[in-house]
Amino acid sequence: MLDTLVSQTANGLVLGFVYVLIAVGLSITFGLLGVINFAHGAFFALGAYVAWQLYQLFGWWAVILAPPIVGVVGMLIEVTIIRRLYGKEPLLSLIVTFALALLIEALIRYGWGADGKPFNPPPFLTGIVEVGPLLITKYRVAVFGVTITTLLALWAFLVWTPYGRVLRAGSRDPEMVELLGINLPRVLTAVFGLGCALAAIAGLLAAPLWTVSPSMAANAVMPAFVVVAIGGLGSLRGAVVAGLAVGVVTSLTIQFWPEAAAASMYVLMFAIMLIRPRGLFGERWERFE
Amino acid sequence: MTRMNRDRRSLIRAVAGLAALSAVGCSAAAFAQSEGPIRIGLIYSKQGPGAAIGQYLQRGSELAVEQAGRKVLGRPIELVWLDEPNPQVSQQNMQRLVDENKVVAVVGGNYSSSALAMMSVANREKIPLILTGAAASEITGKSCSRYTFRTQATVPVQMRGLMPYVSQIGKKVYFLTASYAFGQDILRSSRALLKENGATEVGVDEVPINTADYSSYILKIRQAKPDVIVGGLVGGDFSNFMKQWNEMGMKDKIPYAAIAVTDTDFWDVGPQASTGIFVKPWYYNNPKNTEVEKKMMADFTKKYNEPPSDKTWSGWIGMRALLESIEAAKSTDAKAIVSQLEKWKNTEGEIPFFFRDWDHQMVRPAVIVGVKKQITDKWDYFDVLKNTSDSEADTAKAFGTKEEVGCPMPAL
Repeated sequence: MLDTLVSQTANGLVLGFVYVLIAVGLSITFGLLGVINFAHGAFFALGAYVAWQLYQLFGWWAVILAPPIVGVVGMLIEVTIIRRLYGKEPLLSLIVTFALALLIEALIRYGWGADGKPFNPPPFLTGIVEVGPLLITKYRVAVFGVTITTLLALWAFLVWTPYGRVLRAGSRDPEMVELLGINLPRVLTAVFGLGCALAAIAGLLAAPLWTVSPSMAANAVMPAFVVVAIGGLGSLRGAVVAGLAVGVVTSLTIQFWPEAAAASMYVLMFAIMLIRPRGLFGERWERFE
Repeated sequence: MTRMNRDRRSLIRAVAGLAALSAVGCSAAAFAQSEGPIRIGLIYSKQGPGAAIGQYLQRGSELAVEQAGRKVLGRPIELVWLDEPNPQVSQQNMQRLVDENKVVAVVGGNYSSSALAMMSVANREKIPLILTGAAASEITGKSCSRYTFRTQATVPVQMRGLMPYVSQIGKKVYFLTASYAFGQDILRSSRALLKENGATEVGVDEVPINTADYSSYILKIRQAKPDVIVGGLVGGDFSNFMKQWNEMGMKDKIPYAAIAVTDTDFWDVGPQASTGIFVKPWYYNNPKNTEVEKKMMADFTKKYNEPPSDKTWSGWIGMRALLESIEAAKSTDAKAIVSQLEKWKNTEGEIPFFFRDWDHQMVRPAVIVGVKKQITDKWDYFDVLKNTSDSEADTAKAFGTKEEVGCPMPAL
């Protein structure tokens, strides 16, 4: 029993980390731009497709170029569309980004076809690791590693670099930041690109596990929203804790009470919302009150 | 006072104008029904997880129209394709096809839930509907309808073909099924067949639709150590499972057997991860395919540069049955078309097939296929093992008796 429990928890953590990556991108876009990006899942799918294309053209190592490429696409979309939504009603950004999600999905289908694309873990990452009671695949260990590295890098960037400080200041008091002579619109473009690149990293990591199809994000976006709600909008720390909690709760529910597997994360969200309506680490943000 | 008069006058004028317009509209529609092109509706998924399946179904129906020279009763055929995203919108789209597009019949419906919703419109509007997917028993069982015909074999029929194979592999069975009507149908019918085949159930997991991660389920299966898994996952859920099954090193450890899969599920997964034994309505590389089916395959491959999937066949045969029945009816009258569909019979192969007149189910054997040990072709993943039944009598028996099916077929 113990070995199953340990393996279930470890696999739950890996699933949780994929959710965290998707949720962090969502959370950053919302926290810094005030836009709830419904198209986030579409960038996740785009990340997987670009990675698949790069793999077909240049081999395994080229897939690391997928996130920056999707980031650039995100920046172009920010300049042309998203920028117009700043400071407007939240409903408008919901509708526009929802339309954008449908558009990107349709473009993927138009460009790459409606069928999925076969994509498996690279040969050097196939196989199982068994350490004592723990059973996990090499690929999932790699996902674990990449996600932690990405999150640490993101955290270091936001906390320790001058650029990160501008981002955090801009999210709280955009007028003051502009008064200091900083070109905030350009900063915001980069933020949106960063959010999209994070979604693409998640898409790239999920591609060998999930079917690469135009609507592949459908299964991932809802948990990501739940993670953001539990963790607190705009909180990086909250997203990490909530993502891991959702992953572990989901896999343990599958082990012990499979009928409730789909509902478990919503029950968790409901319980947390009752105790902390702003989420675990959600703070009071003047802009959104 | 003057202002009120003016308002009233403009209102009357507007009403009159509207009446005139709708009269023109009506006569145009009437004209279209008797003289212009014959419109046929298609309801197949255009977006979301079912989009690939929808595309192959639509291409099949389109090909049948092309092969008929795009004409029926000497008049041009016009296809109107609407989406099948969920039961509610599919039902609205069915209504739109009837009200706005004035179609004479509809071919479509891949999901049982949408199919049942569309059937209510077909009944009310008296429009022939040919379902090219949708395996739930009730469609031709207790909810059967005079205006609905179905090409896909029901879940119990497909399971009856598969279970003898499963019990040859091993006696300890683990079920991994979708937690909605389709999966429950599989559980119910396979459990009934377990005893007959001397097998036992060692575990069951009902998986919620749109589950992304199967690692927890796979760990449970490893723990239960079954001889074989009977699956009931479809579309993206099935492909996700198959990929992770391989990723977790289970591919050649425990065999997987399932029904209601389609070629695109495997093309999505790729040769590296594909494995198992499956029941499918049709397979393109089956030496027993008829000459007409071989021609369809050639035409399709020429046009799209890839072979047709079994969904293509379903869309194609559904449309063919409809067009041939319209020709036989010599009219676009719904009742006449339904009567002809009830008499329609395809005798091109060894075992003739037809829609049974008392439940409108197509009675035709499916094929049992196994994933090849070595897949060398981009499209050809399967070896055809056998048919689910080998004679006309066995096929009729496999589809059940009137009492077993329980269809209270209403009068025309």
